[in-house]
Amino acid sequence: MASVMTGGQSMIPYPNPTPTAVTREGDQLVLTPLGAGNEVGRSCMHMSFKGKTVLFDCGIHPAYSGVAALPYFDEIDPSTIDVLLITHFHLDHAASLPYFLEKTNFRGRVFMTHSTKAIYRLLLSDYVKVSKVSIEDMLYDENDIIRSMDKIEVIDFHQTLEVNGIRFWCYTAGHVLGAAMFMVDIAGVRVLYTGDYSREEDRHLCAAELPQFTPDICIIESTYGVQLHQPRLIREKRFTDVIHSTISQGGRVLIPAFALGRAQELLLILDEYWENHPELHNIPIYYASPLAKRCMAVYQTYINAMNDRIRTQFANSNPFDFKHISPLKSIENFDDVGPSVVMASPSGLQSGLSRQLFDKWCSEKKNACVIPGYVVEGTLAKTIINEPKEVTLMNGLVAPLNMQVHYISFCAHADYAQTSGFLKELMPPHIVLVHGEANEMGRLRQKLVSQFSDTNTKLYTPKNCESVSMYFTSEKMAKTIGRLAEKVPATGEAVSGLLVKKGFTYQIMAPDDLRVFSQLCTANITQRITVPYSGAFEVIKYRLKQIYESVESLPVEEAEVPTLIVHERVTIRHESDTYVMMQWSSDPMSDMVSDSIVAMILNIDREGPKMTPIEEKTHEEMERMAQKVVYSLMVSLFGGVKYGEDGRLVITVDADVARLDVKSGEVECENQGLRERITTAFSRVQGAVRPLPKRQC
Amino acid sequence: MGTSVQVTPLSGVYGESPLCYLVAIDGFNLLMDCGWNDLFDPSLLLPLSRVAKSVDAVLISHPDILHLGALPYARKHFGLSAPVYATEPVYRLGLLTMYDHYLSRRQISDFDMFTLDDIDAAFQNVIRLKYSQNYHLSEKGEGIVIAPHVAGHLLGSTVWKITKDGEDVVYAVDFNHRKERHLNGTVLESFVRPAVLITDAYNALNNQVYKRQRDQEFIDEILRVLRANGTVLLPVDTAGRVLELILILEQYWAQQHLSFPIFFLSNVASSTIEYVKSFLEWMSDSIAKSFEHTRDNAFLLKYVSLIINKSDLENYASVPKVVLTSMASLEVGFSHDMFVELATDTKNLVLFTERGQFGTLARMLQVDPPPKAVKVTMSKRVPLVGDDLKAYDEEQEKIKKEEAVKKASIIKVEEVRAASSHLSESSKGDSMMIDPPSAVASSEVASSHFHGKMDILVDGFTPPSTSVTPMFPFFENTAQWDDFGEVINPDDYVIQEEESNHMVGNGNGLDAKPDEASVHLLLDSTPSKVVSHEMTVQVKCALLYMDFEGRSDGRSVKSIIAHVAPLKLVLVHGSAEATEHLKMHCAKHVCPQVYAPQIEEAIDVTSDLCAYKVQLSEKLMSNVLFRKMGEYEISWMDSVTEKTNEKMLTLLPPPSASPAHNSVLVGDLKLADFKQFLSTKGIQVEFAGGALKCGEHITVRKVSDSSQKAGTGAQQIVIEGPLCDDYYKIREHLYSQFYLL
Repeated sequence: MASVMTGGQSMIPYPNPTPTAVTREGDQLVLTPLGAGNEVGRSCMHMSFKGKTVLFDCGIHPAYSGVAALPYFDEIDPSTIDVLLITHFHLDHAASLPYFLEKTNFRGRVFMTHSTKAIYRLLLSDYVKVSKVSIEDMLYDENDIIRSMDKIEVIDFHQTLEVNGIRFWCYTAGHVLGAAMFMVDIAGVRVLYTGDYSREEDRHLCAAELPQFTPDICIIESTYGVQLHQPRLIREKRFTDVIHSTISQGGRVLIPAFALGRAQELLLILDEYWENHPELHNIPIYYASPLAKRCMAVYQTYINAMNDRIRTQFANSNPFDFKHISPLKSIENFDDVGPSVVMASPSGLQSGLSRQLFDKWCSEKKNACVIPGYVVEGTLAKTIINEPKEVTLMNGLVAPLNMQVHYISFCAHADYAQTSGFLKELMPPHIVLVHGEANEMGRLRQKLVSQFSDTNTKLYTPKNCESVSMYFTSEKMAKTIGRLAEKVPATGEAVSGLLVKKGFTYQIMAPDDLRVFSQLCTANITQRITVPYSGAFEVIKYRLKQIYESVESLPVEEAEVPTLIVHERVTIRHESDTYVMMQWSSDPMSDMVSDSIVAMILNIDREGPKMTPIEEKTHEEMERMAQKVVYSLMVSLFGGVKYGEDGRLVITVDADVARLDVKSGEVECENQGLRERITTAFSRVQGAVRPLPKRQC
Repeated sequence: MGTSVQVTPLSGVYGESPLCYLVAIDGFNLLMDCGWNDLFDPSLLLPLSRVAKSVDAVLISHPDILHLGALPYARKHFGLSAPVYATEPVYRLGLLTMYDHYLSRRQISDFDMFTLDDIDAAFQNVIRLKYSQNYHLSEKGEGIVIAPHVAGHLLGSTVWKITKDGEDVVYAVDFNHRKERHLNGTVLESFVRPAVLITDAYNALNNQVYKRQRDQEFIDEILRVLRANGTVLLPVDTAGRVLELILILEQYWAQQHLSFPIFFLSNVASSTIEYVKSFLEWMSDSIAKSFEHTRDNAFLLKYVSLIINKSDLENYASVPKVVLTSMASLEVGFSHDMFVELATDTKNLVLFTERGQFGTLARMLQVDPPPKAVKVTMSKRVPLVGDDLKAYDEEQEKIKKEEAVKKASIIKVEEVRAASSHLSESSKGDSMMIDPPSAVASSEVASSHFHGKMDILVDGFTPPSTSVTPMFPFFENTAQWDDFGEVINPDDYVIQEEESNHMVGNGNGLDAKPDEASVHLLLDSTPSKVVSHEMTVQVKCALLYMDFEGRSDGRSVKSIIAHVAPLKLVLVHGSAEATEHLKMHCAKHVCPQVYAPQIEEAIDVTSDLCAYKVQLSEKLMSNVLFRKMGEYEISWMDSVTEKTNEKMLTLLPPPSASPAHNSVLVGDLKLADFKQFLSTKGIQVEFAGGALKCGEHITVRKVSDSSQKAGTGAQQIVIEGPLCDDYYKIREHLYSQFYLL
């Protein structure tokens, strides 16, 4: 019986017994880059903290194809991920999403901004079409993309969402239309993931915002390491000058650029330059991208995600309605007769139109190739920046590289000045560098270390699949509300109640208030059971008294039939000659009592009445008996126990003397340790002697 | 104990007056909406004028006159200078609405309550938020977080949630729970147990017909009139519900391949649609989805022509057509003129889609039976000709002269003052009789006084007050020098670039090209005057009212309030009847504390909730076993308190085994679900007389305790039956539906 006391809950099975263990591991935050760790491409960062898991970005590596281009998804269990956040639509941040959604057991929720989602669809369809790989190397097809669209949810800048206790919102990142920096808040620990960002406002985008709150961890891109960008105006001038001088010498200009994003910025620059230089109007500019026209609707619609400059222009005419730029479908439609400017994808010159044009033009000295953005390691564009003498063409032949190669970056990644300024403003205690080639990242790390040498800032540059752990011992705060909080307890007072946890907020309340402060409610189950019994009711009473201390008869005037109440829990009514009815309110103790009563009644029936009257014990006698039991148990535990003159038990252990008041349980003793032991022992003895506690009302 | 919250209605209670309420949270004054009516009656704003200066922030919920109309006026005349918070569409469409009203008024009267510049100025300090953006107020409002949420009534319209110390005050007026063509339904129902809910009783007594049926009737009526060669006039708002109507018409026209022309006529029609096109992310999921998949912008209108000038309709005078015009009140503007034109022909139909504001022509026409004839004032702004023009020119000339003189005097006055303050500090106090800036604005007497003196002196000079007789002023060049040379005022050298930028930025294409014509007409300096005459119009056309207001109806409002179950409820905006009705209903079924204050009656809705914060020690938490229930995790906890530092209590595990507590069963039993559950376990179950009959003999019942208020107390469940195996089996299943703590 004593075991029932301590457990108190063991009798009822629970539907889903998954108690959440609170251990030290719960305070460990683990970050694992599955891609973009000491490299550029296939951005993917896995984060887990307090049983919640977030994945940032889901890209592919542009230099590889097939499964090799994916982030290291094998390292993790996709089914445990709660939320997947995509910062922007570039392939190295979003292109493995259809694979991840359709080909893995990922069951969480995916979020991206409105404009990212709209462009994502176009871009990936194009990617699937353009990438000429064998069927088995195809990661996914058009249908997978369409299916993935239904699973992607949208989030607006600054909108705060909560999924499964993970709160997150996003800030403008500036990099491309719809690019976002995500701030994730799990149990008060904030993590900022910048994705690709730029702190410089350009022709159509806002600069990245500075978050209002300092994050505990900042996962930041390091593409440009310690390099510094030239001011925007100078870059624009170099760009237009190169183009102008090339075409005035009768040359052709190739601009290998990614179809969307930065290309729009370049087109805005070119269109404006042509507008201001009428002498150039007979030189055609081609924008060779089937996506261009389709994406225009997106660019026209989400002007609210762009800067004020473009919004002001938009009021008069659509700035994306270019006057001097014509679309170019394929190389077959291209009439290559004289000077021209062609912007074509892909940016790395791996294949496609930009490569076809490159092969055609590379040996002519008059021509120029302007590389307008970051080029990924392992692509031809990266090779020609170093201006080799010869290049290998698509058909395998080697040709001299005579065309001029210019590298003018418009890629809207942060440079060192922006990165250090950004971090200086934020002062995050932990900085994790990702999305940067190992050397650049190393240099940036060193510079940042010296910059933050006088603070406690920690820097991490994990490689792919290399986990970084940090510990956050967040203090758990709870709010005591309702009836329990009517009086603020003094030190040492007991507080007991329901602890209700929702997300990461805790509330303590009385059971009766549960309905008021949460959507949960409590229930009382009243049980009524009829037990066949044809004997005399007195027999039951007599038998019960042998087992239970408290058996009360209700006066017949109150209840119409003879009624017994056992321990204020179970009511037994003699309803008719053939059966008795028992009624009680469910809880483990009462269930147990009622079970024993049922068993007893059935036994009476079987055994027949065996009336062996014994004298009724008075209350005092009972008390005395109980005292005797307590005394003997205490003796067996402590040895030297005597009755004191004031009715208290005097316990002598070695030199220490303790006095125990048997009625109240108070212990007087100078030795702290002994007192605690006696108190514990006495409460256990009490539990054994009186196993059925009084019901609290 | 809790956060102190006071609500003071400034307008918009027990009636249909514009909405404007002051909510003070721990002394921080939030003005919820700042509405006016279509008649721009300044007497409605008296209560606002008394408190405007003490307002710390203004939160706007909907982009229409009733919710934001008074912003420019209050800013100009009452010194309401607090920052305004609204969503992007509320800002943009609200601005267009104000323009439209101003232009409509201006066309027929010398409307001078506010000017276009006042509107711009008022909207300039609007801070634009996104839905569910938690915006942390700073300084005086430290600790208060405001967040707009979808209200579903108009594009961008907002249910405001104001949070301080974990207590929510929710302001939800004119919400709509139904998903519409262009809007998602409100998310109000996802708020649970806010400390205070402020909502309206506007629709408490209205019940709506089924949406599809209503749409069909709407189209049928319109087509009937069109086929009979009539014209349908739909008086609408500038940029709110009209969007839904346009989509309905577009959709049916596309489905039925109809060729009747549709026109949307308002001063800002094309700007409105242009902006609406860029607000897709604020619209319904289906619109967003169709754009993501096919890039079809729902507001690329194929059938509705946008016009900003009534003369564009002249070519279609005899053609059956649908015309949507702004100014739903029919008081002024295009809708007024259109109505006068169309009313006399029985073929035509005027179809109201919202209830007219009190005291307007629209309201008069919506009574049953409609009036046979109405008196209207036809006003027109005409350019001055002949004598009028001459008189005007003369007057202008005079004014100009006076102004020039005044200006010169002011410049001089300032110079003199500057000089004299340099010369002698003592003369500063009485250097001038009046304060120069105010001289321009108000004091006619003072300026005429100057006028006199000026005639005597050389034009533009006034004597320094220190001089006894008028004399030519002489200033010493009192340049100051320091180590770096002459001290200069850098402002003098700043190129005045800002101003022009400001103009562009400010414009933001508000007066986009097509609208320029009308704006031009008003802004150009051609002298004009307003000519008006009264006339009586015989109302022969058909009049019809259909509810396209996009508000939740009475029944839904009640169920939503019951679901939200606020601890305290404040009712505003709605006829006295409706307010009383809803108050009675909610007091009975939702929560005992329902308030419906009068104008300027401050009520205290500070929550009487007791609460204190404690820290949960690691030792305690390691012994707690949580059980998951939906999004909650729950556990029983015994602890003792300990004071760690000042103010903060920490909970530690109790030193000895704590006394057993009454066990608590947590869970919500639905008999229907339980029935399903039992039948999956192979037990025969059926409902019999409200109880669940399980197997042969066992019954499970829920006893509703009528004495208990809704929302509190435990469920009472009774299981009874004879002693048998089934009994224990079913009891076990019953227990499995609960958590025992």
